[in-house]
Amino acid sequence: MLTIDALKQFGCNTDDGLSRCMGNEAFYFKLIGKVIDDKNFQMLEDAVASKDLDKAFDAAHSLKGVLGNLALTPVYQPVYEITELLRERKDIDYSEYIKTISEKRKELAALMK
Amino acid sequence: MNRSTDLYVDGKRHILVADDEMINRELLENILCDEYDVLMAEDGEMAYDIIRENRKTLSLILLDLMMPKLNGLDLLSRIKEDPDLKGIPVIVLTSDQASEVESLMRGAADFIPKPYPQPDIIRARISRSIELAEDRQIISATERDELTGLYSSEYFYRYGEQFDKYHPNSDMDALCLDVNHFHIVNERFGMAKGDEILRKIASCLMTIFSASDCVICRKTADTFLVYCSHRDDYTSIMDKISEACGNMPTSIKLRIGVYASCDKKLDIRARFDRAKIAADLIKNNYSVSVSTFDEKLMENELFAEQLVDEFPKALAEGQFQVFFQPKFNITGDKPVLSSAEALVRWFHPTLGMISPGKFIPLFEEDGLIAQLDEYIWKSTAATISDWKKRIGISVPVSVNLSRAEMYDPKLVETFEKITSEAGITSKDIYLEITESAYVRDSDQIVDRVKELRSHGFFIEMDDFGSGYSSLNMISELPIDALKLDMMFIRNAFDKINDTRMISIVIDIADYLGVPVIAEGVETEEQYLALKKLGCTIIQGYYFSKPVPAGEFEKFLNDKKF
Repeated sequence: MLTIDALKQFGCNTDDGLSRCMGNEAFYFKLIGKVIDDKNFQMLEDAVASKDLDKAFDAAHSLKGVLGNLALTPVYQPVYEITELLRERKDIDYSEYIKTISEKRKELAALMK
Repeated sequence: MNRSTDLYVDGKRHILVADDEMINRELLENILCDEYDVLMAEDGEMAYDIIRENRKTLSLILLDLMMPKLNGLDLLSRIKEDPDLKGIPVIVLTSDQASEVESLMRGAADFIPKPYPQPDIIRARISRSIELAEDRQIISATERDELTGLYSSEYFYRYGEQFDKYHPNSDMDALCLDVNHFHIVNERFGMAKGDEILRKIASCLMTIFSASDCVICRKTADTFLVYCSHRDDYTSIMDKISEACGNMPTSIKLRIGVYASCDKKLDIRARFDRAKIAADLIKNNYSVSVSTFDEKLMENELFAEQLVDEFPKALAEGQFQVFFQPKFNITGDKPVLSSAEALVRWFHPTLGMISPGKFIPLFEEDGLIAQLDEYIWKSTAATISDWKKRIGISVPVSVNLSRAEMYDPKLVETFEKITSEAGITSKDIYLEITESAYVRDSDQIVDRVKELRSHGFFIEMDDFGSGYSSLNMISELPIDALKLDMMFIRNAFDKINDTRMISIVIDIADYLGVPVIAEGVETEEQYLALKKLGCTIIQGYYFSKPVPAGEFEKFLNDKKF
């Protein structure tokens, strides 16, 4: 079961995240549950694979906003970085970022169980 | 209820959250739902539809910039270009600074960064934006006069003051423009026509007084105020305005009061009071359209105000004194004291004796005349009673009634009370009613006069010849004496030495079977001429000026012996 301590240990800034949820833990956890299933993770991966940088940027940018608001720092950080690169439409190898994002997302998902 | 927020104590404003990310929407909804009703849109098109549908009730839009279908910046432009929607404040939700500037340029009220700041910061920014937008809406709704599009007076004064701040050295004029007898235009041609004329004047003023150095407003119905840099020639400006209104069904006559090169140390309202004083000075003068304020005017105005202000104290302290001017019957060999007229004098502690010509018209305008007249009537009755007791005789004394008093349904009752309290009768007091009172609303006045006569009061028609009564009406008037307007005496003897008009009036009086009283008789020549013409009674300096009660006693004593 997800707990604040577990999130903290994972590296999340739960004080910020909770305060945006008006201190309501259940609400916070519910939103975290939703972000793990966010379709933008898949969209980002697919778009990067097919080199559709516009679409990849949109997906990354959306994720960045939500992860930032929930203060899920370990997932937010690589998403933030890839977003800035994609904003410039940089023609580079994004696979390392995709990999890190995917790993961190899985780690977060594991905390839910 | 003094703050606009109080309006919403029991209700909630509506806010739209437009963001394609459900989590963001839910976060904001959770933060705002206690204070607001939150509507949600997940793409730009949907947001636009909701905004249109709720445009009358929506207080604010929280707008994410990156949304499918219609992105935030384009939606923002659409809102700000639509006159129906542009008043709704938009706060942009964004994570990049470049978009912040762009959003503000396109009309966003504010922005909230992502990740979101603390909820209380979000709420404060929202509430501030709503407040500003609502204030702005109220300002734009009240800033302009709906009919003409000119400023309303409160804003006019503010903008005038602001103009002074930016142009401290410019020479400014305060103007007050009025339409002569505008209510008649409205009555004759209807409100719609009146409104059309006012709009025409307004648009004319806007053309003549360019926006860069002038502020213009419509103050009340037909009064316009203009604050502009100094101009020398207002006559040609007035001609232009009158010309523009020329194709109206009636000739509109405008007048303008000018307080030129005004003293900026005066409150701005006071500057326009001065312009108004000047404008009112030519209210009934159709040949002059421009009137300029000068200090002398102000002195008169202040003097008038002082008199009105001090009236209650003067009345309480007995500063008003009733004087008596004798009237003599000249039909016999020797003039015989027949009656007197009560005339008021004001002995002011610092201003000395003030002429009734100065305060009576003021009091008539202010309605104070009723109190003063009642005072005169009472003290006249008391004096008559006193003479009777001490000297043993009296003569009837006439008192003046103003037009307004003739409408008082208790007038007869008042006089009955005054006479009975003084222990005298209705035969002791005569009533002088000016001819002009009969002319307007004559039926009502005539009925009142009949009522007074039926209670035994003697009615003298005052100022006869000045009120343009028709001959037809005169024959039906319930009166006991005609008092010649003083102008007849002056004209007959001063200028042309033509007494024919007096003869005519005397013939009319004969026809009515009432005596003619001539007042303002100053010389023996006049006295003899009037006697020859058949005038019955004479009043004037030739016999005596108005004198205090004590001095008048000598006439009574002469009569007695």
